[in-house]
Formats: sequence, C-alpha cells, structure tokens
Amino acid sequence: MKQSQSQMPKKDFFAPVKAWKFLGKKPVTIEVPNKVKREASERYRGFHINDWSKCIGCGTCAKVCPTDAIKMVEVPGLVQEDGKLPQRPVIDYGRCSFCALCVDICTTGSLQMTREYIHISDDPEDYIFMPTEKGIKAKRGLYEHGKAPLGWVKDKDSDLLDLERVLMEMVEPQERVRSFIEIVKGYSKEQAMKEAARCVGCGICTYTCPAHMDIPQYIESIYNDDLEEGLRWLYRTNPLSMVCGRVCTHRCESVCAIGNRGEPVAIRWLKRYIIDNVPLEEYSRILDINPEKKGKSIGIIGSGPAGLAAAYFLATMGYDVTIYEAAPRPGGVMRYGIPKYRLPDEALDKDIALIEALGVRILTNMKVGEDISFDEIAKKHDAVFLATGFGLGRSTKVPGTDHPNVKQALPMLKMIRDFLRGDGPKPPVPKKLVVIGGGNVAMDISRSMARLQMIEYGKVDVHTASLERTYEEMPADMDEIEEALEEGVKFYPGWGPIEIVIENDEVKGVRFKKCIRVFDENHRFNPQFDEEKQIFLEADMVIEAIGQAPDYSYLPQELQEKLEFFRGRIKTNEYGQTAIEWLFAGGDIVHGPDIVHGVADGHAAAKGIDLYLSSKE
Amino acid sequence: MTNSMNEALKAIEIFNPMVEEIDERQVKVSVGNDKLVSVLETLKSKGYSHLSLITCVDWIDDGQLELVYILFSWQDGGKFIVTTRIDRNNPKFVTVKEIWPVARFYERELHEFFGVEFEGNDDMKPLFLELWDEMPPLRKDFDPREYSKSKFPDRKYEKDVIKEAKIFRGEIDG
Amino acid sequence: MGEVKLFFGPNHPGMHGNFSVHMYVEGDIVKRARPLPGFLHRGFEKLMERRFWYSNIALIPRICVPEPDINEACYAMAIEKIAKLDVPERAQWIRMIILELARMANHLMAVGGIGGPLGLYTASHWGMADRDRILDIFEAISGARIYHMYIVPGGVRKNITPKIEEMIWKFLEYIESRFDDYENLIFKNRIVHSRLKGRIILTREHALEMGVTGVGLRATGVPYDVRKVDPYLFYDKVDFIVPTATDGDAFSRVYLKFQELKQSVRIIRQALEKMPQSDKVNVPISKGSALRHRVPKGMAYAHVESARGEYGFFVVSDGKNKPYRVAVRGASYPQGLYGIEKYLPGTRIEDVPVWLATMDVCAPEIDR
Repeated sequence: MKQSQSQMPKKDFFAPVKAWKFLGKKPVTIEVPNKVKREASERYRGFHINDWSKCIGCGTCAKVCPTDAIKMVEVPGLVQEDGKLPQRPVIDYGRCSFCALCVDICTTGSLQMTREYIHISDDPEDYIFMPTEKGIKAKRGLYEHGKAPLGWVKDKDSDLLDLERVLMEMVEPQERVRSFIEIVKGYSKEQAMKEAARCVGCGICTYTCPAHMDIPQYIESIYNDDLEEGLRWLYRTNPLSMVCGRVCTHRCESVCAIGNRGEPVAIRWLKRYIIDNVPLEEYSRILDINPEKKGKSIGIIGSGPAGLAAAYFLATMGYDVTIYEAAPRPGGVMRYGIPKYRLPDEALDKDIALIEALGVRILTNMKVGEDISFDEIAKKHDAVFLATGFGLGRSTKVPGTDHPNVKQALPMLKMIRDFLRGDGPKPPVPKKLVVIGGGNVAMDISRSMARLQMIEYGKVDVHTASLERTYEEMPADMDEIEEALEEGVKFYPGWGPIEIVIENDEVKGVRFKKCIRVFDENHRFNPQFDEEKQIFLEADMVIEAIGQAPDYSYLPQELQEKLEFFRGRIKTNEYGQTAIEWLFAGGDIVHGPDIVHGVADGHAAAKGIDLYLSSKE
Repeated sequence: MTNSMNEALKAIEIFNPMVEEIDERQVKVSVGNDKLVSVLETLKSKGYSHLSLITCVDWIDDGQLELVYILFSWQDGGKFIVTTRIDRNNPKFVTVKEIWPVARFYERELHEFFGVEFEGNDDMKPLFLELWDEMPPLRKDFDPREYSKSKFPDRKYEKDVIKEAKIFRGEIDG
Repeated sequence: MGEVKLFFGPNHPGMHGNFSVHMYVEGDIVKRARPLPGFLHRGFEKLMERRFWYSNIALIPRICVPEPDINEACYAMAIEKIAKLDVPERAQWIRMIILELARMANHLMAVGGIGGPLGLYTASHWGMADRDRILDIFEAISGARIYHMYIVPGGVRKNITPKIEEMIWKFLEYIESRFDDYENLIFKNRIVHSRLKGRIILTREHALEMGVTGVGLRATGVPYDVRKVDPYLFYDKVDFIVPTATDGDAFSRVYLKFQELKQSVRIIRQALEKMPQSDKVNVPISKGSALRHRVPKGMAYAHVESARGEYGFFVVSDGKNKPYRVAVRGASYPQGLYGIEKYLPGTRIEDVPVWLATMDVCAPEIDR
C-alpha cells in the first residue's frame, strides 16, 4: 500500500507573520442583502415558478415531494377539461427543502425554479404561495417580482418520468396479413408491471374516459401485482373490459399526463392484461355479486356494447333482465363488425359469459317487429332500453353504386366474420378492390379484404380513397392506418368519388376528383372539389365505408312521433331517459361513436332506470 | 470473493452458515442465534476485526428481528454481513461488548430503537430520545406521522393563496 | 479539591453541532466524562423508510452538514449494489470529483477551524473563505451550496459542463497557491505547536480497540483508508498516497488533514483528465417514474472514506418502492461515544474542544 510518513513542519517564529500580507487585500466576503447583489448560479434551486397555461394540475409534484410541502388546491374559475384538472400546486416554504424533485418530475415542464433565493419576512403567513408564471413575490429579494431568471430546470438527465412505453409485441405484417390471427400479443407480467410503473396516478384519464373508469386504481393494482383488486376496479364501471382492453378508442391515452412529453401509458393494454390473466371461473368469487332481487324486469333491445353494459349493471342491482337480439349471436358490432384479428370471439364470449352468469337472458334470432312486436316487449317489462346501434350503411349515391358488386362495409364485415366462425359462406374476394372511406370501418374492411386476398391470391391489391387529405385528418386511428400500410393497403387521401365505372355490366373501377376542402369555416361537413384533377382506380369490386345510419323501423309509429330526434339520434337526458319516461336509449343511437361510449351509456341508463323505478314505488 | 474471504468462510463452515454473495467483496452470512458469537469471534481472528456497524431489521411479517453485524477487513477490503434472527415478541440476545467495546453503544441504541435486550450489557439508558413514551420507534408498526400529529399542532395558514396568485397573474385587481 | 461537574455543550462554540458532554473534573483535569448525544436526532432512518427510493435524496445529505455528499454516495452505491445497476462511467468520475471536493471543503473547515479552540481566528476565516469557493462550485454543479442532492441512485442528477470543469481547474490552482499560507500561519506557528504537539495522544492500540477510522487512526501510523483497501468508484484508477504520521497527537491529526487536501487536488486533477466525454450520467433505478421505482429484494452495505473516516449506509429492500430499512454508520460514532467515555478522562479542560475537534466528533452523524 502506498503511504507516506508525513514530515511534521518545524515551528518558525516569523512564518505566521506572513499572514499580514493580506491586510491590504480586498475582502472576499460580501454584504447581503442590499449592498451587493450576488447572483446565484445557473442551476440554482430557488423559489418556484409555475406556468399555469402549461400546468395540468396532475399533482405529481405533490406526490414526489419528500417534505409534504406541496398541496394541490382547486382554483375556482379553472374548469375541468380533457387532459387538465382545475387545481394548481400550493407550496409551503416552511417545509420546502428546495430539492427540485417536483421540477424534475413535472409531467408538463410547467414547474421550474428561479435564481431568486432571498425572501425575508417576519410574518409566518408569507411562506405559503401558489406559484404562477411570475413566481412568488419575494420580499427584499434580488429581483423585481416576475423578473427572476430561471434556475434549476429539468433536462433529459434529471427527468424523473419514464417517457418510453414498454414495447408491445405484435405479429409481423408479413405474417399477420396471411390470416386473421390476433395481431397484439399482450403484455407479460413483467412487462405489465413495468408499464404500470410509468403511471403517476393523476387520474386525468378518468374524466376523459366516457365510462369514467378507475384507471389509476387498476394500474396501481397491476403495479402491486394484485390482479383481483384490478378486476374489481374494472368491473365497477365497465363489464366489457375484455373487449375494451382490445379495441377501445383509448381516449384516456390521448390525455395521459405522461403523454405531454412522452408516450402515454399503455392504458388499454394494461386493462387487457388484467382480463387476460384472471381465469373466468374466478370472476364470480372475486367480484362477489349477490344482489337482492328487486322483482322488476327490464327489456333491452340490442346486445351490443350499450345493451350488454346496461344488462350487467341492472343485473348487479337485482333487476331481471332480458335482451332481444336479432342476430344469431349476441354482441352486435363486437360480434359482426370488428374484424377477428382485432377482437377474437373468445374475448367477447368471456365478457358475455359473465353477464349471462348473472342471470341475464339473451334471446337471439329475435328481431323486434318480426319475431316479436315492440308492444309485447313494452307490456312485459317495467322499462325498456333501446340499444340498437347504427346497423345500416350509408352510400355515396354516385352513379353506379346500385351495381351488385358495389357493397356496403358492414354487411361485408359481418359476412367475413360469419365465414371465419363457420356460420356462413365464403364472401366474394375481388382481385382488385377499391374502398371508399377514411374511418375505422374503412380500415377494418380494407385490412380484412387484404387478408382474404392474401389467402386467395397470394397478394394484396386494396386501394382505399378518402375525402380527407391527410392521414391526420382521417378519422381512423393512426395505428390502424400504419398497420394497414404495413399490410399492403394503398391509400389515396383527398379524393372524392365521381362515378363507379361499369362496362358490360361489370365494375371496372372508380373515378375520383380531387378534394380541396372537407369542412367549411363552421366545421360543417361541406366538401369542395377541384373538378379538373381526376384519377381512375381499377377495381372489380367497390366497398363503401363512409358511415352508418340507424334503423328505427321496429319502433311503432306513435312512439316515434313522441320521441325527439337530432340528426338521426334520439335525444335523452343524462340518464338515457327519452321523452317517454319508461323508455331509455343509449349507444350509437344516442351518442356514438365507439364501444366505450356505449358502455358509459349503458351504465348511465342502468342508473337512470333504477332511479325511475325506485321513484315509482 | 477474495482469498481471505474464502478462507474465513471455510473457517466458519462448521457453524452451518447461509451464505449469500452480494458483490466481489461483500458476503452475507446468516447463522443461528447460538452460533453468532462464535462466528463473529472466528471472523475477527481471521482479520475481519473492524466492526463497522451493528444494526437491526424489523421483519414484522415474520415476527422476527434480524440483528446485523457488519465486519470489515483492513487487509483486503472484505466485508461480512453477519445476521441472525431473533423473536420479535421476546427480543433478547447476548452482548458482544467483550469483543468490540464500542458495541456497548450500538446495543444501547438497538435497545432504544427496537427494544432488543442484550444480556451482559446492563447500560440500557436511552441514548438519543428524551421522555419517550411510545414503542421503540424503529419498529415497523410505529407510525411517526400519527405520533407527531398527536404531539405537535399543524400549522394553519390564513392567507388566501388563490386570490394572491390571481392578483400576481393580473386576473383580478388586488 | 473535590470533583466538579461541568457541562460541555449542547451549545458550545467549541463543538460542531449540538452535542453534550458531562465532565467530572478535579482541578483542570477531566476525571470522568459522559457523552450525551440526541440533540440532533431527527429520525432519518425511520423517515427514509417512508419515502420513495428517489425522494430520499432530499433527506440524506442533512445527516452531515460539512460533508453531505458522502451520504448521497453511500446511499446510491448501496442501492446500486442491490439492484445491480450499471452506472455510466462519467457519472462515477463526477462522483469522485464531488466527494473529493467535499472532503476538501470539510478539511478546510477543520484545518482552519482548529483556530477556533486555539484562538487563532485568522485561520478559521481563511478556511471558511476558501471553503466558500468550493461551495461556489457545488452551487454551479448542483444548484445548492450546502445540501447538494446531486448524487442519486444510478448516477448523478445533471452533467458537468465545460464551464464548470474550468471553474474546478481554476479553483485547484488557487487552493494550491494557498497551501504555503496555511502552512506558515498554522503549522509553523509556535502557539499551535505548544497547544497541539504531543497533546491528546491516542495510541495505535487504543485507536484500533475503539474502532476509530480516518485520520485518528492514520495519525498512529496505520495507513488504513477505505479508498485504498476497498476501492469504490474509480479510486483504484488514480494515483494518490495515504499520508500517515506516527505521533498520534492532535498536531499530526490536523496536519494529516492538511496533507490530504493536497492529495485531493491530485485526485480531482486526474479525474478531470480521465473523465470520458459523454452525455449520459445516470440510469433509472428501474423502469417507471420516480414514484414507482423498485429495488429488488436484498441488502447491501456501502461505505466510503469520508473526511472523518469510514462512513457507511446499510440498505435493505423488500422489493417495494420504498426502502425497507436504512442504517447509517456515522464515522465518528466510536470516538464520539465510546471514545469520550474512555479516553477523554485525563485530558485538561482546555484540551477538550481540541480533542473533540481533532477526533472529528460530529454530532449529526451520531444522532442521525
């Protein structure tokens, strides 16, 4: 080991006297405050500022604070909106330790520190502030109020959030386009727990979720590896979690606080992880639903998301529920609309099995108006919930659309699903296909047909044209567009159809004109075209997927007259109650456009029906 | 592991230790209550003569306290974390102050913070806390927040911080 | 003359921090002494169990005021051992620079501070003024002068910029130019010689029996230094020596600190030169936000050579997002408690503050 025996210095009478040489030197000390203002360093951790226009009130600063110095306080005048909570941090400088963890973890970057470090007051009330863009008002400070330069700010090294998602494994495009197997593989336990660890538990998502699911709570359950608790959280608000864990439009993720600077938490996949990993047999034990029977019965027309959700919640309240479904299998759009590669039958079956286990009767092949009259249903039940959805396709009505090889997306999707589960014949598979539309249904049919083409001919030839001029403008999810591109679908954004070209009674293709504007100044649908610019896309089949419409033909005329409609939708109160007090409605015929809205409507209607029937007693 | 650590481990093999390597110069050795002092003495004679720390971990779910003795060798930087578990409800052990005099104070501290009695060490006056009237505070079931709530008042602020912030932002006149 | 009971502290100009010694004296010789710690007990170990792994960095530097960084380093290194984290190389070098700067800050305060009990206040002022230059550097690096909260599990919080490196180079040059002044003022001073030389001698046997580490031990001729014996960070990649002395008296203890200042300058220079350029200075403890970092189950002890000797953190994790148990080994625990009781007796009253100062009895790290 290296060491040195130090030689001790000898004493010297004159040596200490040399210190006198400093007599004439300038002192290094400075007088504060007032005399000399000593500016703090660039990274100084001084008093906070908080940019209110950026702050979303997520409260992560308060959670990380090691001294409990930060409290979130609701600010009157701020309103709750998507992605924002109406609260702002209040900092108690009697507790603050100036560690800047709040700055480093701030989801938006609104909270920062200044170089102001002087604040002198003998009033204890002067040590609590709600920082604003101007910071705090430091008494006898270095700077004028609001003029203090920035000190400690977050950079990529000091960031305490995890901005990157745990990657979800997917089947490769070349492989998945050959069959209808499910694309997303789902998280493993380790992956799910890691992804759950990214959540800061702010709950901003809950407000935006149409069903107001307890998202932070079930994510925390995953983080704690307590899936049973997670399942209970899911079923509090959403009995179709299996379906929503796969095909929800996940608006929650678009407002996720982490998404402000990084990739939002994969809420949808985490939900799916819980459902995928709790066996169905365990459900009744975990959820422990034993309602007291109320002795009243409810009829529900339609077994789509809204119908099933309403049935679940009504059954848990103790009502006797019967669902009337026209199709041979329950599930509505989930059974017949969404392609199998996104939502396999088994997933849906699991959700429906639980609802049936609660005693809900689902009568299939029971088309109201044909197999049973509406009046009969109305007579049988104490209240009726309509959830019949948008089952009819819309047509562009351009010349040639009446040709039998010009099809509607919904019936085609239904035919494909029926074929895949062995319920029906093989749908016709064109060599060249043109799809008209830019929404999710257009993606579904394009990608389904691409698969069929691949299986049949070994190559994909699908051309999808939409009015919207960019991918961003298209109403379809970006994921869907990207995946479709990967699978070989060709897109033509910004083209409106002129006519279906038919020669010798056979479809030859579609002529399009350039769309230069879809919506007008008032955001109304009002497309304008440049008639000069045209293209022609070859096709031997054309599928229209430009939207759906409701079918109210099953409703008796006198009822229809009593109901109020707005743009094809039934008007209801917040509990789904229509102008007829025993008649409730929800789902696409009230709100649209996605499954989770249907679930939310079903939940609201269940509460509404319960209120209505309880008040009648 | 260093050579001398291997040798030391061989020497204590007869005491049936549970050995867990933490890094190349750190090993955790868990032994039974009756073996602990012998293990410590053996290790000391093998060069692990510096007592870095005596401490305790409360495994409340197992109903046990784990006594931890950290030994260090100035020869090669090897560290032994020697532990033994005792009953949490009747926490008694023997003193090691004869081996390391400073242990007297560590043991006094553990008595104060965990309630462990050390036979042979009768100086158990509280070392750090004055007028303590609760359970030993480093036990897991002691809640310091509840304690301080019961002992000290919370500060209440009167100031309307929201109004003040709005004045700062120029939303209202102040 | 009979025995008189005197109180040293808890508030005393000769004591660093609040610490009390009850002395029973006859004439001016201490006959018996009883240490009374606890005035600075803030319950750190309990508080740490109740905060996130990361949030604790705001708490731990407060255990020791003059040299807070050792707490951060020990805590971080113990966690890194349990979680088997790979800390970026640059971060390790930066940590070394921080630790050595902290050692210098502490030693400057101690070397100058010896002027306090001796009445040589110029030395104290010099020490504090020069220490302030180090605090300026800390302020530039970490945004705070005293509690840096800079070394975190997984690395350091922010990178060091070329401007800061320049600042450190300049400081090293400056402090070297000052060494002669210190030597002349303090170590060649007749008064210092007569008050410290050959006084308060601690023998090697006693030092080892007590478990004293640091300069207290090295002044007795034992070259024990954790940086050499159990190298952490990159101390095995730099060239430095461990100064020792044989007298075991107060003078050599202070003088060794002064010598260590020079070694620290050497270490920092080498670190600045060897430090690789990189923009990665930390890795997260685990995937997720700081609220939900997890450390796998396990326990580890990490120690460093602080300015006062072996300083260590023993950390236990049960796999959750907060530490299960953290225990701190204060460097001056042996001499502060056992040492005062056994070896303070026999000292003259006026030597008591010198004993406490040169043995580095540091109340906050004993009390925690």
